[in-house]
Parts: sequence; C-alpha cells; structure tokens
Amino acid sequence: MGPLSLLLLPLAAALAVNAGQLSIQSPRFTVLSSDGNQLRTEQISLSKKAKEPVTLGPTDSLKLTFQVKEEGGEGVQPHQTFLRFYDETTGEEGIQPVKVTASGKAKFDFNMARPPASLPPSGAAPLKVSLILGSFVHTPATVELFDLVVPPSLSAVHPDEQTFHPLPEIQHTFRPEQKVPPKAVSAVFTGIVLSPWLVLIGLWGYLQPRVPHLFSLSILPFTVSLGALEALLLWYWVELRLGQILLYGAGAAFVAAVTGKQALVSIGEHRTGRK
Amino acid sequence: MLRSFGALCLSLLGLAALTQAGSSSGNSVLVVLQPSLKRDAFSLFFDGLEKKGYSLTFRAPKDDTPVIIEHDVPLFDHIILFAPDTKSFAKDISPQALVNVLNHKTNLLIALSPKQTPLSLLAAEFSLILPPPGMPLLSHFPPRDTAPTVIPITVPADNAVLTPGTPPVWFSGVPQALGANPLLVPLLRAPPESFAADTDKDAGAEAVVDAAEKGGEGLWAGSALGVVTGFQTRDSARVVWAGGVELFGDEFAKKEIEKGVKSGNTQFALDTAAWAFQENLVLRIDKTGHHLANETTPREHYTINDLIVYDIAISKYNAAEDAWAPYSGLTDLQLDFTMLDPHVRTALVPVAGAPGIYSATFRAPDRHGVFKFVVDYKRRGWTFLHSSTTVPVIPPRHDGYPRFLSAAWPYYAGAISTSVGFLLFSALWLAGDDRETKKTKKTE
Repeated sequence: MGPLSLLLLPLAAALAVNAGQLSIQSPRFTVLSSDGNQLRTEQISLSKKAKEPVTLGPTDSLKLTFQVKEEGGEGVQPHQTFLRFYDETTGEEGIQPVKVTASGKAKFDFNMARPPASLPPSGAAPLKVSLILGSFVHTPATVELFDLVVPPSLSAVHPDEQTFHPLPEIQHTFRPEQKVPPKAVSAVFTGIVLSPWLVLIGLWGYLQPRVPHLFSLSILPFTVSLGALEALLLWYWVELRLGQILLYGAGAAFVAAVTGKQALVSIGEHRTGRK
Repeated sequence: MLRSFGALCLSLLGLAALTQAGSSSGNSVLVVLQPSLKRDAFSLFFDGLEKKGYSLTFRAPKDDTPVIIEHDVPLFDHIILFAPDTKSFAKDISPQALVNVLNHKTNLLIALSPKQTPLSLLAAEFSLILPPPGMPLLSHFPPRDTAPTVIPITVPADNAVLTPGTPPVWFSGVPQALGANPLLVPLLRAPPESFAADTDKDAGAEAVVDAAEKGGEGLWAGSALGVVTGFQTRDSARVVWAGGVELFGDEFAKKEIEKGVKSGNTQFALDTAAWAFQENLVLRIDKTGHHLANETTPREHYTINDLIVYDIAISKYNAAEDAWAPYSGLTDLQLDFTMLDPHVRTALVPVAGAPGIYSATFRAPDRHGVFKFVVDYKRRGWTFLHSSTTVPVIPPRHDGYPRFLSAAWPYYAGAISTSVGFLLFSALWLAGDDRETKKTKKTE
C-alpha cells in the first residue's frame, strides 16, 4: 500500500478537512495462562512498537482492549474494526472483526487452545498484528499494534498442490553386484583341474606311443573332422547362435561320419592283416 | 480510421508494444454483451483486442446466433462474457454449456457482479467462493473522493502475466475467496483493508461482525481474496473470472489514479486477456526421443542397467511475433521413469548449444517390465505439459550375460581339457600301431 498511499496523499488531505481522523485510546493487552494467571499485561504504545513480541503458548489466551475515538473528540463506532494478522514471510493473512460498542469501546480475546478461524497458519516468523479502522464519515487509520508469536501451525494443502512444484528426485537402488571369489582361488582350482595333464606328460616317455598312421590319408581326415567338431562347440560357446550351430554342426557331423567310416574300415583292414 | 487513431493515442502506454500480436490458439472472439452495456463503453479494451488481430463478434445473452459450437466443433476460440447481471442465458451459454466449451479448449473471460446469476453460481465450480449476493467489495482506504466500492488496487510486480510497472487499477465489483485448488492462478488480489459488505453506514458495523462470527455467512476480507482470478483446466484451457465488468470499461481506464497519472486499467485488461487467450506463458512439446547413451536411434526395448538418454524439445509461443520459438528457460523440468510408481525421477536440463532441447541420462532400473517416460510439467499460469512414452525394459537375453567369469575358470578348464583329452586319445588310437597284429605278422 505504501506507494499507493503516497499517490493518494492529496486526496487524503482534501478529505481530512471535513472528517476527523480515527485513532484508538488506551490500547492494552493481557496474556493469561490456562489457569488464569496474568503472565504479561502492557499498555501498547502507538508511537513506537514494543521491542519484545507477544508470545502465546498453546493454552494461553490473549485479551485486547481499546477505545476507538475521533482524534481529539468522542468515542465512535467505526464501520470497520478489523484485526489483521499477517505473516510477512509466507504472505498468509487473517482478518478478525472486533465488536465495538456505540461509545467506541472494544474488547477482544481468544484462547490458543481454540484459536479463531481467522488466525492464519504460522511458521517461525511472528505475525504482525495491526488494527484497521475504516468509516464512511471519518478518515480511516491503520494502527500497528504488536508482533505476535504463536505455536506454529500448518496450512491445509490441496493434495495436487505438490505436483505443481518440483518433486523430490528418486534414485533407483540397484541390486548389489554378484560376489565373486578372489581370482587366486579360481586359479588354484583351475590348476588342480589341469594337474592330470602333468601326470600324462610325466608318463609320456614311459608309454612312448607310436603313431605311424597319423598322416595316412584314411585316418587324418577323420582326426581333423573330430577336431573341427570340438572347435565348433567352442565357437558356439563363445558367439554362435543355436540355428548356426545346428547348420554348421550338421555339415561337420556328416563329414565326420563319412571320414570316420573310411578310417575305421582302414583300421579294420590293418588289424585283420589284409594289408 | 479516425476512431482507431484516437484509440491509439489514448492507449499509447499499453498498446505500443502489443501491436501485430496474436493468440496461439486462434483469433476469433465471441463477446456476449448484455443489452445494458454498450460496446462503446469498452472501446479501449475492444479496440485494443482488435489491434492485436482478434476479430470480435458481438451477441446478446439471449440471442440464439451466432452459435458457439456447431456439429461439435467450436466456432470461436475465445469467449468474453460481459453479462454480469443477466439471469437467463440462451441455451448454449448455460453453465453446463460453458463447461463443455472449455472442454473444447475454448478460453473464457467472465465478468461477475454482486448480483447472483448463473455465472456466479458456476464460479463455485472453479473453487471461487463468492460472498452472498449484494455484497460488493469496499474499502475505506485510502481516503479518496470516490465511492468506497470504487477501489484503487496496486498491480503486483512479480506476476508473470502482468506487465511490470502497470499503475494501480480501479476496481468495482465482487471479491472471490480462493479455494486451495492449484489450478487457480490469482492475477489481482484485493487490498488488505478491503472487505465485502452490504452496509453503507457506520452503524452496519454490527452486521459485519455478526456475519463473521459462528453461524454467520463468514467474512470476505483482506488480501487473501482475489478480484481477478485465472483458472487453467487440466487440458490447459483458460478462464479468467473478473469481479467486476467496470474494470474493462473506458470510464475506469480514463479515470485518473492520481493527478496526471492515468489508471493501469487498459494495460491490465489487455494483459489479463492476453493470458486468457493463450498469448502468454504458452508452451508446447515439439518432440520427445530416447536412445542408448552411445547410440542415436531409439530402441524398441531396453535392457536392465542400460544407460538411457531421454530428450525433449519444448517451444514457447511468442505473441509479439506470432510464432513458436524453442525455449530453454525452464529450470525445473523433471522426467519420471515409471512402472506403476516412478522408479527414477531426474532433472531434465537444457542442452547447451541446442535451443529448446532438454536432456536427461540415467541407468535403467534392474526391474524388468513395461516402463513409461513421463514428463508432467505443471506450474501455475503456464500451459501444462504432458508426455508419456511407453517402452519395455527386459532382462538380458541368454547370451547377454557376461562371459569368462573368473569364478568359472575351473569349469572352463575341465570342459576344455576333457575335449582335448578325447581328441588326443582318438588321434592316438586311430593312428597308433597295433603291436599284436605286427607280432603275428612277424611270426608268419
């Protein structure tokens, strides 16, 4: 309202001539505890604001009395006598009308155990309490009374309201990586699995197998095709798909069958001594 | 020509920047004007709209033509309802019909008055609680020579809809208490000292207090009230509820707020209409896309633990140029990766060097199922953005698992050594010498 009031100062001056300014006399507040003890009672200074805010506990009650007067005149009943509770940090505001008698006397009290509906939801910051006096015939006035500290309360929030603000980020919790035994352990057991080869190599000299027919044309193709079959299985394990291994395997198996028959026939001939 | 020149001079302040503009959703406006109001009484506002490129069609509330919706297609993009006192409307301007019109994404600008009309009853459906009939907003502040119901209101400086620096506006009409509905967009609030009352003497003070007390009708007072309030439906059609039609009229627009300073009514009215008619704060999604982190084309499905990149292109409507332009100014855009519940929610950040593109990179959760990329951007006053793309996330294929695990080395060694052993044995047996046969041969 600041700049606006400034803008309208000339008008205000014009009006003030024919109507008295409203003001209040002997404003006083009392804080009572739930068992009726007077905790604090003070005259409110209109010229300078009380340094210490008025603090209300959850069961305390506040009593406020004042008289509305025309400046330098009689007590009057204005059209509008509103207490305004305002939280500057959140912009929450509550307006409470106060009953004023024809002579201008006003009394307002409330208990924090049953706070009036007009009390706005409040956070840590104190509520600024001011009195608004408005009238059709007198010049209106706003009076700053005091700062009020009340127990914090929450405002009612629409269930959809949070979707109109950034929502908290969500991180997915992944399953932990599978545990693998140390590579050294795997290597030791691999060594144990391969150890029979040491035995075989050790005994090789004693056995001294002779392979006179290794490169014979009837034996070699079969040995090679057996090797190819084994290589094919290794290849399958590394990258081939099932369809491919069936196709290649069928070809290799046919070759192995043909060469195998030839090889076995030739061995049979050796052994029966026909050759 | 002379008239439009005159109007231009009168509204120089507001219109200089706004010529050659347009709405993002079309330029045809139906003005429903009650017979007691004359078009000339709103010439600044209507001429301002026409200057922006809107074509206005006028109709009385009880006229049957021109129809608003024909064959289920709306014939107007926006409707101005300046019929605050009218109690009976033609069938296609009834409250139900207006809701239907909104569902067709036609925008509304509705003026109310302290009188109870079908429109003021409709306001309750938009979370606006009006005082009982016959209770206009009045304020004794600041002291002035106008009636208490004609109130100067400061225009908030921090509202994205309104031009900053607009002078205070004159208002006369009915206030609205705002529900907690997040679809509401408060545009102009009542002054803190104002309240709604039906008394015109100081002796009415008792009635004001009694109404506020328990069992009374309640008190409409203070800056929690709105006097001009916007509402955006879930599919982004916009409604503006103004407490009084005089706000848009020439009388208030020409009335001085102080000596030598004209009120901001002309500017405010056009700003309000600009928001209502989808000129301001209008966004759209141009396209969305997703791909693996080291690829560029979208996949039909993703595997768990894949690194996925999602990007979205957003444009904002620029009314001054009547064109859409890529917009990188959103700072709080978020992406949800959702299967029933969001599993991942991460920020979509503007990509440097690519205007209008926002991107997020994240690892797919290790849960397989049908997921959705969901962007649901809702902020007060802005067009709501919603995009949902379904994509399955599958477990790895049989050959998608890691090979050559160190834990399986003994098994690999065993299998390979068996194969090699078999091959070696076969070679030895096939190629070996049959000693017995040889011996018998020698003895022969």
